[in-house]
Amino acid sequence: MAFPDIGALIKGMSVTLREMFNPPVTYQYPEVRRPLYPRFRGRHELKRHANGLEKCIGCSLCAAACPADAIYVEPAEQTDAARYSPGERYARRYEINHIRCIFCGFCEEACPTGAIVLEHDYELSYYNRRDAIITKERLLVPPPAPDLSTPRAMPDPGGLYSAIPPVKGGVEQ
Amino acid sequence: MPQVTIDNKSVDVPHGTLIVEAAKQVGIEIPVFCYHPKLQPVGMCRMCLVEVGTPKRGKDGQIERDANGAPVIAWMPKLQTACTTVVSDGMMVRTDTAQVADARRAIIEFLLTSHPLDCPICDKGGECPLQNLTMAYGPGQSRFPVESKFHNEKRVPLGDLIMLDRERCIQCARCVRFQTEIADDPVLGFAARGRGLEIVTLSDPPFDSKFSGNTIDTCPVGALTSRDFRLSARVWEVRDYPSVCAHCSVGCNLWIGERDRTIKRIVPRENEAVNEIWLCDKGRFVHHFATSSERLTQPLIRRNGDLQPATWNQALDLVATRLKEIQQHDPNAVGGLAGDRASNEDLYLFQKLFRRVIGSNNLDHRVGWSAANVGADLIRLYGAGIGTNLGALAHDTTALVLGADPEEEQPVIRLRLARSARVFGATLIVANGRLTKLAKYAKQSVVYRYGGESAFLLGMVRAIIDENLENIEFIRARVANFDAFKTALAPYTVERCAELSGVNADALRNAARAFAKSPDALILYGREAMFAQQNDPAVASGIATLLLITGHVGRANNGLVALYPHNNSTGAFDFGFLPDHGLGRAQVESKGLSAREMTCGKVRALYVMACDPALTSDSLVGTQQGESVRQDGFVKPEFLVVQDLFLTETAKLADVVLPAQSFAEREGTFTNTERRVQLFRAALKPVGEAKPDWWIVAEIGKRLVSGSNLKLETWDYAHALEITEEIAASVPLYKGMTCAALAENVKLPRPRSGQGNPSGEPAQIAMGELENISSGKMWASVAESDASAKFELVWKEPSSQYSVVSNQYVLAVARSLYDGGTLASRTKIVQPRVPAPYVEINSQDAEEIGIANGARVRVSFDARVIQVSARVNGHVPPGVVLMANNLDGTAALPMGARVKIEKV
Repeated sequence: MAFPDIGALIKGMSVTLREMFNPPVTYQYPEVRRPLYPRFRGRHELKRHANGLEKCIGCSLCAAACPADAIYVEPAEQTDAARYSPGERYARRYEINHIRCIFCGFCEEACPTGAIVLEHDYELSYYNRRDAIITKERLLVPPPAPDLSTPRAMPDPGGLYSAIPPVKGGVEQ
Repeated sequence: MPQVTIDNKSVDVPHGTLIVEAAKQVGIEIPVFCYHPKLQPVGMCRMCLVEVGTPKRGKDGQIERDANGAPVIAWMPKLQTACTTVVSDGMMVRTDTAQVADARRAIIEFLLTSHPLDCPICDKGGECPLQNLTMAYGPGQSRFPVESKFHNEKRVPLGDLIMLDRERCIQCARCVRFQTEIADDPVLGFAARGRGLEIVTLSDPPFDSKFSGNTIDTCPVGALTSRDFRLSARVWEVRDYPSVCAHCSVGCNLWIGERDRTIKRIVPRENEAVNEIWLCDKGRFVHHFATSSERLTQPLIRRNGDLQPATWNQALDLVATRLKEIQQHDPNAVGGLAGDRASNEDLYLFQKLFRRVIGSNNLDHRVGWSAANVGADLIRLYGAGIGTNLGALAHDTTALVLGADPEEEQPVIRLRLARSARVFGATLIVANGRLTKLAKYAKQSVVYRYGGESAFLLGMVRAIIDENLENIEFIRARVANFDAFKTALAPYTVERCAELSGVNADALRNAARAFAKSPDALILYGREAMFAQQNDPAVASGIATLLLITGHVGRANNGLVALYPHNNSTGAFDFGFLPDHGLGRAQVESKGLSAREMTCGKVRALYVMACDPALTSDSLVGTQQGESVRQDGFVKPEFLVVQDLFLTETAKLADVVLPAQSFAEREGTFTNTERRVQLFRAALKPVGEAKPDWWIVAEIGKRLVSGSNLKLETWDYAHALEITEEIAASVPLYKGMTCAALAENVKLPRPRSGQGNPSGEPAQIAMGELENISSGKMWASVAESDASAKFELVWKEPSSQYSVVSNQYVLAVARSLYDGGTLASRTKIVQPRVPAPYVEINSQDAEEIGIANGARVRVSFDARVIQVSARVNGHVPPGVVLMANNLDGTAALPMGARVKIEKV
């Protein structure tokens, strides 16, 4: 009765022994990063069309869909002289409060233009709460070329109904 | 009443009911686009198609019956439009069959072939009938490829206030019909045919209507959008607060749509007895003053000659100390001026401060546009009966509109009087010194000579007496002094009155007959008649006499309505803002000083709330016997306190300036021109440190009574509605008008039938999704509340006659809906709607002077010379010229002055 459970101990230690020769699972973050699944939902980005215009048209459907009420959109009317996005409407202010956000992805689903996408950035720590409110400037991806930034003077691309492209995500022009 | 069966549910409905309305009564919703309960049905959109059958009749005319004895129904071979088909007895309607569902699906699919489906950027998205009905009845998918969509212009400015998106238009013509049928400014129309069919504006300037904003509400898609609200928020993000319009005296009910501490939009709130579901463009768009950057945000105290910011305690203590000093020396050296834009709560406390604490009757509200306000006793005695609905005066009602221009001054009342005349067949008699837009709907339009108002009224009285049309029973029971009055009237024959007033004698007799014979009759008098009353006491007595000898007082749709300029002018009368009237319009024993006396240096301390006497002190003071009475400019008293939204002309002179809150930031009640007390709620957070007027007055009150033997607790109010309750408990006129009573929505009876209904049976007036509700309470006039009250006829000799030297014209002063006023000038979007200064002149006179329409002329009077362009038309009679006050360079025009017109 001295070592009644010695069998179990040997069984357990054998696992340890075996794993000693396997490569370690620990990632040396931040030097080494774990690969993410393509549909991982991290920090949001506001996408642009190939011509540099913002896909976001300021329709506020993301804010309406948001179960945490984390999104604030202030739309405004734009002109051809200072164009941000296709159509008549653009988001003058677009803010996501990352303290509130639950990363459910409903905003992405509600977006008629595929403007908002939950991307793979998960490094969301802030020194103060105000920084957790991500403004449009920080959400918007850089333009594909320096001269394709917004706002800029350009006629409504794709004619009259380009604000909401027939295929979600937009026809790349 | 015909019985109709809809989807096996039977209902009895009045004659003339449309199927769509009958279906609503049994809880069945028939989808519609072009049908609108306030508009005539047209059957344009075909969305309301249903199966309709009627009982089959044999050759003998008898209803055929089947084996079970049930009537055989002859179903119509094709679907019928429910919005244009009137029910008949025994009619069967089916709305739930596959055929109907198929038709609806097809119509939606058809509408969507050329609809852009840009709902995410459309202002209507979220409250769009097309969106809702597509979800409910439409196909899930379109069979048309997206690329085949028909495209059209998306940004067509339709005037300064409305933007049209041609692509979204489904051509229901609601906007065209609203403009034609309700607003009666037929400035919209259809152009072209087929695919090219589009809404165009036919006027110059485009969409020239004061009611254009209502087309945004009636549009069932996002084709017409407000250029003010456009693309600035989604409708579900906007929070709506019930309020009452703070502009004119109609008191239209509205919703303030707030987001991010600003007013995003204003939409009408249904009140069938006040504004139905309409708003004028001023009420809808002129709200930017509330969030203007020019608003006062903190108290200011004059130190070393400059107004400098101070804390509330410093400012209030200073006011209390100085007022106390001056009051202890002489209470009558303290004066109070309160504008009639302030709420009843503010006015109540203000007069309480003066009458109970300071002990002075120096209270007045007659400043600026309100300078002409008269009728404290007339309205108290003969005010229109409770239940009067100016928008649904029946065909047995006559309304005499005297010296008023509601199109410019109370636009929604113009709209509603026109509805009464055109839809319900009420008789309008419009009398003024010139033609106004309202005259178009009048059975009889009378243009008298300015100054001949009293002669016109006496002529009507004389014609009634001559033809024995007076109400003898009423006169015996309630009226004293009738015989003496008749004797005094003897020299004034109808012919003489006709000559004095410049009206045809037959026209006078016709008007008199219509007024006297009508079972119900009302008199509405406006600003021009108020000027006449100031000059000529016979006008007021003429109005009273006309009502009394015909017995048209004390009942609904009978009595008197004064059309005042501001949202709470009636409240200012009710709370005694007159030197000779006290709380509840009671006469006071010791008369106080009038506004004119107070502003020319007769008081040592002046407390000014919500008005700007320095701007207007020498303006609308009126005329006497044709000589314009000009007052010396505003004299700053020893101590001047101003409480306002902006740094007004008076505030610039003040010793202490106190920032007040606008109507959107606080709650309270306003009393409209029909004496209807209405509750409004706060929508915005206060701007800066601004406080509600009642709070400021109460704080000063507290400081003044501390240490005296007056009780302190009477000045403790947590919020405005506590004062409303105190008013309801203590002011006799407002008895029982508690917040709960004022907030209650009352369902009104449906209006009676109008002309064109030969059966005589009441026709159903379509109400649709509207609830036909009303809120607010009117107080009862003496004639109504006291059945035994006796009234005395007073004889006053008509006096005011304008004598005009050749080459001189009588100046009539009009008001323009949009002008250079404190509130309107802070809304950019309406600035293009403010007319350029003009003078209207009769074509006959214009020919004599040698000017054409549009010519520049020089108008000179009282050492003033103004250059304006002439409008030559027939709106003003020869010898009269009309100018709108308070436009660019036309401030402070004296009504009735003699002017010279010269060609430039």
